[in-house]
Amino acid sequence: MAWTWFHRLGSPPHVYGLAARLTPWFAWPALVLILYGLYGGLIDAPPDYQQGEGYRIVYVHAPSAWMSLMVYTTMAIAAAVGLIWRIKVSHAAAAACAPIGASFTVAALVTGSLWGKPMWGTYWEWDPRLTSELILLFLFLGYMGMRSAIDDLQRADRASALLAVVGVVNVPIIHFSVEWWSSLHQTASVMKLSKPTMPLEMLIPLLAMFLAFTFLFIALLLVRLRGEVLMRERAAKWIQEAVSP
Amino acid sequence: MSEFFAMGKYAFYVWTSYGLVFGIVILNIVWARRSLARALAEARRRLAMRGENT
Repeated sequence: MAWTWFHRLGSPPHVYGLAARLTPWFAWPALVLILYGLYGGLIDAPPDYQQGEGYRIVYVHAPSAWMSLMVYTTMAIAAAVGLIWRIKVSHAAAAACAPIGASFTVAALVTGSLWGKPMWGTYWEWDPRLTSELILLFLFLGYMGMRSAIDDLQRADRASALLAVVGVVNVPIIHFSVEWWSSLHQTASVMKLSKPTMPLEMLIPLLAMFLAFTFLFIALLLVRLRGEVLMRERAAKWIQEAVSP
Repeated sequence: MSEFFAMGKYAFYVWTSYGLVFGIVILNIVWARRSLARALAEARRRLAMRGENT
């Protein structure tokens, strides 16, 4: 079995070069998908029979919320791998996730609030879905705060990784909150096992936006990861080649 | 066209949401590139310092 590709993912110079080569393959499709999703969601899709044009917020709200959960899960897995096998690159990846995740959690919360006002009559309610998503924001901020508070990079990596791993229990809570508790937030329309409950003209642009945000996350992560890897490899010889303009 | 911008009676909520999310997308792109550029500049500076010492 050719396991070498897998082992090389722990090697900083290999990861640095690979990340640089892969970035455009995710960034450009993300841009195309976003443009298509905007056209489909704002122009092509029909208005909702209950919410009129107001439901179009879904095309930025749901992908942002999806992004917040995807980034947290990625961060927790990277942190766990870093803790268990002591892989520096893995800690670097976890650290690279946090600011991306925090900002899209804010996007999900604020767009949800802007959707809630006209449809529910309130910007905020201590509903399980909203509350658990707010806790996700605090987890991201706590992770970032902890990293910047500890000077020693190795200790910061390990302590913050522990927080990220423990906090992952919140991810299924957010996802299933709308089923476990009777909630103001609607239940899943797309992310479920049975057929999605919306017509195709609405669904396809939404799926395009989910895919676009996924690619955007990968592209952002790859760029940030290179910066994190460079900072960690202070003395390494390969850096000389990597940074020569 | 003005009907499109009116978004039923939801113009404020819809356009603020789209504006915010795309603001955050752009900021993320700028932040990511800036953090890489900063790390590259820092690595070059360190290499230059080491070059002077030896």
